[in-house]
Amino acid sequence: MSETLEMHPELGREVEIGSIDRELHQLWAEDEARTNASLINLAVYSERPGALEENSRTIRELTREHACRALLIGIDRDAGKTSIRAWITAHCHLSHGHKSVCCEQIAFALTGRATGRLRNTVFAHLNSDLPMVVWWQGELSPIFSERFHGLIDRFVFDSAEWRDPRESFGRIEEAMEHSRQMIIHDLAWSRSHQMRVSLAALFDDPVAQAALPAIDRVEIVHHPDQHCAALQLLAWLAVQAGWRDGLELDLALSGESRGGYSFENQGGVPVVATLKADPQSAAVGALVLRGGEVTVEVRHEAGARFLTRRLEAPGHAMEAPGPVDPVAPAEVLGEQLSRGGRNRLFLKILPRFMRLLAGREDR
Amino acid sequence: MRGDWRNRAEHMTNPFREDLVSRSTPEPCTVVIFGATGDLTHRKLVPALYNLAVDGELPPGVKILGFARRDKSDEEFRTGLEDLNRKVSRSGHDEEVWGSFVQNIHYHRSEFGDADGYKRLAERLDEIDRERGGKGNRLFYVASAPEFFDDILEHLKDAGLNACREGCWSRVIVEKPFGTDLATAQHLNEVVNRTFEEKDTYRIDHYLGKETAQNLMVLRFANAIFEPLWNHRFIDQIQITCSENLGMEGGRGGYYDKSGALRDMVQNHLLQLLSLVAMEPPTDLSADGVRDEKVKVLRSLRQWDTPEKVADNVVRGQYVAGHVDGRSVPGYREEDRVDPESMTESYVALRLLVDTWRWSGVPFYIRMGKRLPKKATEISVHFKSPPDVLFSAAHGGLPGSNVLVIRIQPDEGISLRMVSKMPGTSLRLEPVKMDFHYATSFGKSSPEAYERLLLDAMAGDATLFARRDEVEEAWRFIDHIERAWHDVPGDQQPAMAEFVAGSWGPKEADDLLRADGHAWRRL
Repeated sequence: MSETLEMHPELGREVEIGSIDRELHQLWAEDEARTNASLINLAVYSERPGALEENSRTIRELTREHACRALLIGIDRDAGKTSIRAWITAHCHLSHGHKSVCCEQIAFALTGRATGRLRNTVFAHLNSDLPMVVWWQGELSPIFSERFHGLIDRFVFDSAEWRDPRESFGRIEEAMEHSRQMIIHDLAWSRSHQMRVSLAALFDDPVAQAALPAIDRVEIVHHPDQHCAALQLLAWLAVQAGWRDGLELDLALSGESRGGYSFENQGGVPVVATLKADPQSAAVGALVLRGGEVTVEVRHEAGARFLTRRLEAPGHAMEAPGPVDPVAPAEVLGEQLSRGGRNRLFLKILPRFMRLLAGREDR
Repeated sequence: MRGDWRNRAEHMTNPFREDLVSRSTPEPCTVVIFGATGDLTHRKLVPALYNLAVDGELPPGVKILGFARRDKSDEEFRTGLEDLNRKVSRSGHDEEVWGSFVQNIHYHRSEFGDADGYKRLAERLDEIDRERGGKGNRLFYVASAPEFFDDILEHLKDAGLNACREGCWSRVIVEKPFGTDLATAQHLNEVVNRTFEEKDTYRIDHYLGKETAQNLMVLRFANAIFEPLWNHRFIDQIQITCSENLGMEGGRGGYYDKSGALRDMVQNHLLQLLSLVAMEPPTDLSADGVRDEKVKVLRSLRQWDTPEKVADNVVRGQYVAGHVDGRSVPGYREEDRVDPESMTESYVALRLLVDTWRWSGVPFYIRMGKRLPKKATEISVHFKSPPDVLFSAAHGGLPGSNVLVIRIQPDEGISLRMVSKMPGTSLRLEPVKMDFHYATSFGKSSPEAYERLLLDAMAGDATLFARRDEVEEAWRFIDHIERAWHDVPGDQQPAMAEFVAGSWGPKEADDLLRADGHAWRRL
């Protein structure tokens, strides 16, 4: 029996760093009825005080659908004391009512100068051969360096948490230059997924499709915290519809409406887009396209369980519900993990998004 | 104005679809279900469409029109569907989604043989198209009893419903059984092809919509370690088992006693699985690319075309009274709606040989039966043993060879049996199992087979549907066996074996494999 330290009500058994593997092995040996499942290594990084406990609860929910080895990382770079502590536990769920399926979790708390040992300490405990997914919470800190991101297969972040998205996206772009295998996922982009799917479904209708060249007004309503999500949605619209930036109109608009963006469609028709921040709105509350007598809209009323998809044209009206994107970060992450893929569409719209972001901030 | 839009949109693509779904895009259409008051519609088809709506996969503008003989209003039809959807829907029943979904469901009463009913159907579909606007795509789902298939298809043609307007499509999905022998299948194919083009005909086999069946091609062709071993040099035998613990409950004896295990399951589901296991890599993943390779397997099946060959390679059986799941159950001939002198098999075991370079000399064994100990469908690939020069009898010998098992249902997954040294100072070998469970690894439930297949039909992707030649080749093989069982004089017919309900089948089926030095895998 190895020497164990104290038990944490959420994080489990505290263990010596040097004996993590042995303790994990013992954890499994205690109960042979459980099945250990893991498809990915999921590291969750946070510098927020109290994040380890909160993330442990999040992982408990996430592992219902995504079997993983979870590595929780809590960092306090400013602490005077240098220390590394670790806890192990397992999140178990009944699969189909009978089999107990469990996922391991190792939580690390690093303080002071010990944060420099993050890579060697934490990443020594990966489940070999499985992909490495890192969910970075909050601002990108100096720890997000080449030595760190060089190990990552998928990097998940939430641009809604950034004070300066332009600067942070610049660092992400640099990281992608160095670590070309790394796939990036912005949870802000994931928050508009069903909005995009719904709009695409509406444009399967030939009436909407034929009206696309005539669309000249776009309105996006979003929560004030989700400006990036709204701007990414606009960038996606512009890229997919083939709209060019309309700088002159944009400048003209800037004086009268801070939320205005202008484009020019392939036929030279000006398209004006407006972003409206509404504290009552869902993350992305509405996407409305208008042109002539045609309106194509997708709305997510705050608190509603379904999107409203609507197409209106003379003599032609259609309305249908669509699924909404989840709200809680863990659920958004879960959906994103289910979709997988290389996120090519996001990479495709990223340059346009960056231009829109820069344009807005330059004003 | 609307017509103008339709013309303009004809050659456009939807730019917003890119990268949002990695599958062909289903198109808005009206789904007309023949046999709309039946169990399949209530338990499978409408819940499948509802679940697609919940997941946002159903294109907006899809309408459902139930066609059946009973007198019902739209409201009555909807109420019946709602009652069952509450019980069987995979994702539960949400009032809000159902409230919107059900507005698109209508009922059309007509006899299947009434020409006037189809004219009224055509008018109603035109009316729906006018109301909905956009394209007038139609998907006809023939889920009625098989004796009405001909009538339905002929009348669709007479009413002009088989033809589509420019820029639209008209497709038909035909449920099993697709014929009862080669002649009836050929006749039905002729009727179908007189009515719909082959590219617009979707013969459904719901086994192909199951996740593991779809995963078979991925397993074989996306993993470099398997394909080099997937041939007669490394594989000793392959077994396909489909066991059911149920018997003839719920009045199914009436249908089953006319069909039997061979026609009900082997001709379609199990030969389809065999095709996926044995086929060559297709040139691409197009529907015909895959089906071209599958049909080659069926064409390469060695034909058991004499009663002697059937007797040597096929075992038929019936269960006698016994116990299943701790309950006493009657014998097959004592079951409800079964002829007390029935010569219909409730169990069948076959040895098949695929005469291709790849599979030369490798037996494929198929067994299917009712009232076996448990419900399970799986494919097991048994590899040849390595030379025993190292681990000879002196060390206890090799405890069996490698077996790769692909579980279709329940508990979909894949396992690999390997040999390992037992811990200790002596050299003792034991089999160990590496096991992958879909449900354990992916917490999210898979869509029902019908969801995937309906969506594919709306998207025009026929990969997971049987083509005419596949169906006919399968019947060609099955027909020889049926003839040996039923058309030759009684004293020359292969015997009907008996086994106790709740056991793994008759002794004769064990002997079939024992003659080759093999044994059925223990499930």
